[in-house]
Amino acid sequence: MALRFVQQCPIKWASKLARAQSTLSAFEIQHKTPLIKKQSPIPIAMYGGRHAVTMLPGGGIGPELMEYVREVFKYAGAPVDFEVIDIDPRSEESDAFDYAITSIKRNGVGIKGNIETKSESAAITSRNVALRNELDLFVNILHCKSFPGVPARQKDIDIVIIRQNTEGEYAMLEHESVDGVVESMKIVTESNSDRVARYAFEFAKRTGRKKITTIHKANIMKLSDGLFLETSKKIAKEYPEIEHNDMIIDNCCMQLVSKPHQFDVMIMTNLYGSIVSNVLCGLIGGAGILSGKNYGDHYAIFEPGTRNTGTAIAGKNIANPLAMLNASVDMLNHLGHKEHADLIMNAMLKTVSEDHLLTPDLGGSASSTEIVQKIIDHILQADIRPW
Amino acid sequence: MSGFFNGKNINELFSGLLRFLAKNPPKNSGRTAEIVSSKPISSRLYSSEIKKCTLIPGDGIGPEISAAVQQIFESAKVPIEWESVDVTPVRGPDGKFGIPQAAIDSVNRNKIGLKGPLMTPVGKGHRSLNLALRKEFNLYANVRPCRSLEGYKTLYDDVDVVTIRENTEGEYSGIEHEIVDGVVQSIKLITEDASRRVAEFAFQYAKENKRKKVTAVHKANIMRMSDGLFLRCCRDMAKKYPDVKFEERYLDTVCLNMVQDPSKYDVLVMPNLYGDILSDMCAGLVGGLGLTPSGNIGLNGALFESVHGTAPDIAGQDKANPTALLLSAVMMLRYMQLTPYADKIERACFETIKEAKYLTGDLGGKAKCSEFTNEICSKISQS
Amino acid sequence: MALITRQIPRIFIQATQGAAVRSIHNSTISNSPVLAQRPDTRVTATLIPGDGVGPDLVYSVQEVFKAAGVPVDWESYFFSEVNPTLSAPLEDVAKSISKNRVALKGILATPDYSHTGELQTLNMKLRNELDLYANVVHVKSLPGVKCRHSNIDCVIIREQTEGEYSALEHESVPGVVECLKIVTAKKSQRIAKFAFDYAVKNNRKKVTAVHKANIMKLGDGLFLRSCEEMAKLYPKIEFEKMIVDNCTMQMVSKPQQFDVMVTPNLYGNIVDNLASGLVGGAGVVSGSSYSADCVVFEPGARHTFSEAVGKNVANPTAMLLCASKLLRHVNLTVYSDMVRNAVEKVLQDGKVRTKDIGGQNSTQEFTYAVISNLELPKA
Repeated sequence: MALRFVQQCPIKWASKLARAQSTLSAFEIQHKTPLIKKQSPIPIAMYGGRHAVTMLPGGGIGPELMEYVREVFKYAGAPVDFEVIDIDPRSEESDAFDYAITSIKRNGVGIKGNIETKSESAAITSRNVALRNELDLFVNILHCKSFPGVPARQKDIDIVIIRQNTEGEYAMLEHESVDGVVESMKIVTESNSDRVARYAFEFAKRTGRKKITTIHKANIMKLSDGLFLETSKKIAKEYPEIEHNDMIIDNCCMQLVSKPHQFDVMIMTNLYGSIVSNVLCGLIGGAGILSGKNYGDHYAIFEPGTRNTGTAIAGKNIANPLAMLNASVDMLNHLGHKEHADLIMNAMLKTVSEDHLLTPDLGGSASSTEIVQKIIDHILQADIRPW
Repeated sequence: MSGFFNGKNINELFSGLLRFLAKNPPKNSGRTAEIVSSKPISSRLYSSEIKKCTLIPGDGIGPEISAAVQQIFESAKVPIEWESVDVTPVRGPDGKFGIPQAAIDSVNRNKIGLKGPLMTPVGKGHRSLNLALRKEFNLYANVRPCRSLEGYKTLYDDVDVVTIRENTEGEYSGIEHEIVDGVVQSIKLITEDASRRVAEFAFQYAKENKRKKVTAVHKANIMRMSDGLFLRCCRDMAKKYPDVKFEERYLDTVCLNMVQDPSKYDVLVMPNLYGDILSDMCAGLVGGLGLTPSGNIGLNGALFESVHGTAPDIAGQDKANPTALLLSAVMMLRYMQLTPYADKIERACFETIKEAKYLTGDLGGKAKCSEFTNEICSKISQS
Repeated sequence: MALITRQIPRIFIQATQGAAVRSIHNSTISNSPVLAQRPDTRVTATLIPGDGVGPDLVYSVQEVFKAAGVPVDWESYFFSEVNPTLSAPLEDVAKSISKNRVALKGILATPDYSHTGELQTLNMKLRNELDLYANVVHVKSLPGVKCRHSNIDCVIIREQTEGEYSALEHESVPGVVECLKIVTAKKSQRIAKFAFDYAVKNNRKKVTAVHKANIMKLGDGLFLRSCEEMAKLYPKIEFEKMIVDNCTMQMVSKPQQFDVMVTPNLYGNIVDNLASGLVGGAGVVSGSSYSADCVVFEPGARHTFSEAVGKNVANPTAMLLCASKLLRHVNLTVYSDMVRNAVEKVLQDGKVRTKDIGGQNSTQEFTYAVISNLELPKA
């Protein structure tokens, strides 16, 4: 009798019906692959089609950018409720930071600016890194796609950078063994390398990408990068339909600036990821456009692609709102609100390519608010207006 | 009390029971045999001699308010002799803590008891004493009259309802188990006998206390079988009492209407959980548990009690309000057919509260428990 | 100088926050009516008038929407358990709601017995089909509605897919009925999280779990434990437990102490109705049921008020407030506020009052009063 009740699960066709038009969302790639642990200990914060999302504005231009995101969401009718948590960068207390982690744990999804760690004390670790480690966000994805209308050195770039996000050089294990000699440890584990590689191949398979390149320095760091490379080669065998090659980081940087179109999906360890993503950002128009996604087994965080606080331009109304808006579009896609994501994305594209409104960092003269206002206008004039 | 149950009903109940037993395999008979017809306690209550009553003073403020009640009874010259017993749990022969045999014997002998608030010790191994007493004396119906008191102002001044609650089964059957990890199943048990018994009691009570209407509170729209059975029993019983009006209301409707217009209801009869909730709610309407009496009617006796807490913070300070226990004692007197005494004490109590000269702290006054008690006593002796 | 330039965007931001609707330009106000005329920008919602006075109230909502020019299209279904032959099939209704993701629903009457001998009511079936697990009733003292209590503002969140409403009953031997109450950890956690998330979202301070774990140690104990576990994730929200009988007593004497309450199924039903009674009855309290994907807006206290059918006396306030909430949910904030303000104004003025709140006016008169109080945007 009771067992029957347990099996009496809600019928799933309802949700299938509502979502039939959208293709596989990033959320599904993250959560529904058989390779990844599925069970989420905390129920998902989605109620009546609305999601609760943690918002960490961070420092520098973060707060203003977040304000634009909320403004745009309001007009686009994006069904997302933000829980805003401010973290004081100067405070060494970790209360607010711990609360932010708890909040992301229960909401499952977060959007963040760059959280500054002002403390010089060696005991205080970078909060950005701590956040990723705490939530086990093992993979960072940066989709570098040329933005039409943005002046850039290279056109039509479409590269996905998949970066190990929790270990490697960012293990934060440093010490001065004798005076004047500092050792810094780089950690590479098989399980994490395996997870990243598997994620990359699965991602490539599901999004129809053809080629994966592993970036490494295994000629020097034979054991650590060697392990990373070996693991990805091993996984590649399971995906014969996807081409796999590898490249040494220094060569990779050279190739990127000269012939970037040869790359499709790239996987790499933590530090190389940081380098490569900044190089690519530079190629297609600077730090203000791209957005990055951080995924773990249970949580996801979206942020501007290059992790800069932009303290120098904070409050001057010249910060480029596109990066954060891009991150918010990623988030909407992740949550499955494809219509809203497209609506905002199209408005952004129109603003940049048709109206040629650009902030000073891209050679334009428009202020941040002008751009945001234009985006809102485009949203309001759009043909479809989902709620 | 003579008309408490007429012969016909008893016969019917018995024959129903026999039929019931005959249909059942013998293994069930052990459990069901306890549920015998609600034969009233013996007629020796009518003799004019002094009767004995068991008194369980209770914990916390219990002893002081019990003493107050005793004092008031004395001044009213109520022909009752108290037999005070201690119910501090003792380890029984089976190794479990339980009520001392002496207390059980006392209530069994006297068939009637008055009980102050008891504290249920926290921790395992102790069965709730309240529950144990209820089981021991098979107290199947809980009666709680709630009446607005003049002199103590609440937002509701037109409350006069009696909640009658089935007390032995329903949601509190205590049958629960975890089927698989994270899935718990509790069983709500409704039996025809128990339902009929409490329904009969409700109508009987309404008739004896000259009440106009009995409302069956149920949720048969959701629990169609279990509450449906309860409801059917009430309907059947209603046919036997044509002079008492009968109506059926959903639990949620009662809640809604009760807080809007309590005068819509008179006597309410309901299964265990609903009764628990509604009786406390009605108490809330008139000013809390410190003012509402409560009686438990059973097969083997009747136990009247105050249902408020033990208030250990004010225990022994002469600050407690004995009204609830006193009114319970008044109910007891009525139950024992000592109505003149009951009326006298009740009148004195209400008047004292109405005059508001000697009110205890919980009613917004400054008087001590003893002052309040003395005032009632002096009113009784004046009358 | 630098300081001033720094401040400018801040001021701008604050301005946009303050004037939530009118913000940056007045673009929304001038745009919305224009948008409303374009068919592709309209919102479709499912409409279930329900039994009793439901159809009258729904008609009232439709009238107000028409007058306000609200861009909502209704997909209306007659859905009823007391009238099974005319009722639309459950599948169609469920499909429509999951497609539209919003619905406005009157109350469905549930007979004490079913024609087919089923134990599940139609309401329960719909809830299970769509997994509408969380029922939210916001009980708030309304201006102009006279009640014994004032300043009540609490939210009752009720799990409504399991517990006593499992519809698992059987007669083990004649005369003995067993009714199963099911509590699962999964659903308890889910509702607890819902309550806390609701509290966070709406800036509430306290969550009270209502239970009877002293008696039902396993069942309600599991519910309570789930709430306690969840509370740890919300350090900024106060968590409190209360036994259901004490809760009802506190509710009638000091209802102001409650903020957000989370309850299992049956207790929720009791507390909902009790609290509704405190602020003016079933006619003025709105509620909503949430699943992960869709929301059904329905009056908070579920009474069909069938004795008033055709008498034109029912109070449409609850239904209009539901409709306003629906509009807010589908991001039509302007219209939502318009309807809500109009209703509140009518209640505040107190000139037009239906019978349940001490007046003599009819449903129709009340509706017209609301319509005449609508502040339509200037074209």
